[in-house]
Amino acid sequence: MTDTIRDLIHGNASVVPAGVAMGALSHGFELAGAKDFGSDVDVLNYALTLEYLEAEFYRQGNKAGLLSGKEKKYLMQIGDDEASHVATITATIQKIGGSPIGAPAVDFGGAFDSRKSYLTTAHIFENKGVGAYLGAAGFVKDKMILQAAAGIFGVEARHAAVVGNLLGLKAEGGVYMGSTEVGIPKNDVLKAVAPFLRDPDKVVAAITY
Amino acid sequence: MGISKIFGGRSVLEFADEHSRRSFLRNAALVGVGITYVATRPGDPVAFGNADRGFRNEVAKSDLDILNYALTLEYLESAFYTMGLKAKLLKGRELELVDPIQQHEANHVTAVKTTIKDLGGTPVAAPKVKFPTGTFTSRAAFLKTAGTFEELGVKAYHGQVPLVKDGNILAAAASIAGVESRHAAVIAQISGGNPFPAPIEGHLGMAPMLKAAMPFIAK
Repeated sequence: MTDTIRDLIHGNASVVPAGVAMGALSHGFELAGAKDFGSDVDVLNYALTLEYLEAEFYRQGNKAGLLSGKEKKYLMQIGDDEASHVATITATIQKIGGSPIGAPAVDFGGAFDSRKSYLTTAHIFENKGVGAYLGAAGFVKDKMILQAAAGIFGVEARHAAVVGNLLGLKAEGGVYMGSTEVGIPKNDVLKAVAPFLRDPDKVVAAITY
Repeated sequence: MGISKIFGGRSVLEFADEHSRRSFLRNAALVGVGITYVATRPGDPVAFGNADRGFRNEVAKSDLDILNYALTLEYLESAFYTMGLKAKLLKGRELELVDPIQQHEANHVTAVKTTIKDLGGTPVAAPKVKFPTGTFTSRAAFLKTAGTFEELGVKAYHGQVPLVKDGNILAAAASIAGVESRHAAVIAQISGGNPFPAPIEGHLGMAPMLKAAMPFIAK
């Protein structure tokens, strides 16, 4: 089968006004406040806090025995990914001479009451994670760190999509969140995860993954 | 995935005419042919602030060059899904999940094109493509090729991250890349693949991406 892309694209492009597409793209680095992060270490510690939360969330959730079969396998993989992110970001902060922040004390409330509450909370977490990485990306000065962060960001997007699909959510607006991802400012991310922090100032001495 | 395994060595890309072919080759010339790509294992657990990630091999390109490179990949993806959906191989939930992907890729084409024009550049013309025989004759073949495309697309975007100069373009590219990641995961999930092949997604430079396509360009 042979077709010209030009014809195919033309047909599709007419459906989407360019202004709409560009409007979606304009959500970018401007979202995070100018004073949100002072250095790459600041950004990495922000990411580390979120990764700690996610890693601990899946560690507890996967112990609750709510899932089976393929679902269980997927969530185990996701938990392993988050633990790997914690380890990688910690090592990176140390490598560039910074001090990795400690793990926050957390309480996930009723998140592990049922399969549905576990997956629903996971879905929210992952989508916030995607937005958080995109919202903070503009502050990263070291391009190699940015590239690796993009690689983590993409994995969070994978998690979000797969969990959304496990929940049977509608494709657009549940599994996918449009043609482009949208960044979330730091303050909004922190507000969203605040309910899970037992005491933001209390740090768990040693979570090691 | 090794370059040699892409599409099982089958022809992926054929250009409509000599002009399209030359404009594609011009991109290849920008980065040089025969550059050795040093693969880096994704998810390196030690640390990632490492300058030795292979991108040093890439000759400096303008943001417009990079955008036109992205546009070429989006053209391919968009055409691929348009043809795949036309073949009516999917139904039910699978169709519901793949249908929006086609729309996303079309939107990406429009967005990248508009960005290039806004920057005063000229978007590359869409090449004529011919996908290998059999790509759209079965659900399995369609989804397998889709998975390959998406994983490559994700890596191609990440590969350009250190090279893009304009922060806004970087943000736009990242916001597209994340959607490609969702596609890759969903395609893997519905076709029995692994949605999470690595804790950190890898990246691929322009040279190896183009090198992968070179043997398949119609003479």
